[in-house]
Amino acid sequence: MKVTIHIWDLPHRLFHWLLAVSVIAAYITAKIGGTLIDWHGRLGIFILGLLVFRVIWGFIGSTHSRFSTFFPTFSRISAYLKGQWQGIGHNPVGALSVIALLTAVAVQVGTGLFANDDIAFEGPLFDYIDKDFSDKLTGLHSTTFYVLLGFVVLHIIAIIFYRFVKKTNLVKPMLTGKKEIPRALAETLAHEHTTIGFGAVRFILSIIITSTVVWGVSGGVTQLYPIQNQQQASNESSTASVAPQAPSSF
Amino acid sequence: MNKKIPLAILLTATATAALAGPIEEQIRFRQSAYSFAAWNIQKIKAQVVDHPETYNKDTVAAAANAIAAVANSGLGALYGEGTDQGIGWKQTRLKPEFFQKKDEVTKIANTFNEAANELAKVAATGDVNLIKTQFGKVGESCKSCHDLIRIKE
Repeated sequence: MKVTIHIWDLPHRLFHWLLAVSVIAAYITAKIGGTLIDWHGRLGIFILGLLVFRVIWGFIGSTHSRFSTFFPTFSRISAYLKGQWQGIGHNPVGALSVIALLTAVAVQVGTGLFANDDIAFEGPLFDYIDKDFSDKLTGLHSTTFYVLLGFVVLHIIAIIFYRFVKKTNLVKPMLTGKKEIPRALAETLAHEHTTIGFGAVRFILSIIITSTVVWGVSGGVTQLYPIQNQQQASNESSTASVAPQAPSSF
Repeated sequence: MNKKIPLAILLTATATAALAGPIEEQIRFRQSAYSFAAWNIQKIKAQVVDHPETYNKDTVAAAANAIAAVANSGLGALYGEGTDQGIGWKQTRLKPEFFQKKDEVTKIANTFNEAANELAKVAATGDVNLIKTQFGKVGESCKSCHDLIRIKE
């Protein structure tokens, strides 16, 4: 006997697929460069928003989105390794993968905010650090990308493994939000924790916090705390000082 | 015979160095060339891409001409043997593979020259959209060379 349960709420699924699409788009725009580098920057800001939202949703989202539900504690991992773990959301190893993926994306976003391409792009927080440090972070940004790529490959291999070896389709629940599980398991789990559904107020709250952070990082901070140093002035002010309106004779 | 080979190498090296200056000097000149280009690139970026309301035809045209001048100045002469190691204004980031990849580099250098000359041409017309597109092409040629022969920090 199987029952269908709601596992991934809509914001969670949207987060997942938007993240996948934006990371691919960010990769392509970075590789092509030229005018697309500005889109790479915009995608980075969008991904920052997705990450911030996911972290907030990890505390106030529905049951299986919450870190407390799936956080890979030592006891959960050891139970899983002994084959005693029971659950329907992320299993402890899957949870490790989730954390690794989120951390790797966060490193990309964090370094990207301060990066420059030595051509015609500077991250929104570039002006707050010196050029040498930005160059270091830029180097890191391109190197640590391969760590992210590695985790993504593992993630996809795991999905294929579940599909063909364990005969479990992990993609469909991430699209529909629904999962079929044995009735007995559903009953056992119902005793363990109460199910928390999707809450509109909690969702709106998450969106407000996310927007504030994104606004702050992508320009709000510069507005609130303009950089005093003339040499490191942002584009608006430097346009006047570095590039005179009309070239004079000197 | 054996003694003449190192001598010949030494002479060739000295002659090359005499033409383009010692290693440190070549590195310093090319670093200067690119940072001068960067200043001009920043001006175009600011006035054409980031804040088009500040666009000034003369400033952008002057900047584009400066970039083209750098591109056409024969920068290749600053990439003599041994210039993958050394400190100009700072340590060079030229990959040693540069010297095996000269054909590819030449191709990119030609693309850069053509793109920069075209940018100067469109900058003179004052067509902001054309300038923006061509500016992107110059950036792509910069990037293809960075990706090929520049050490990542």
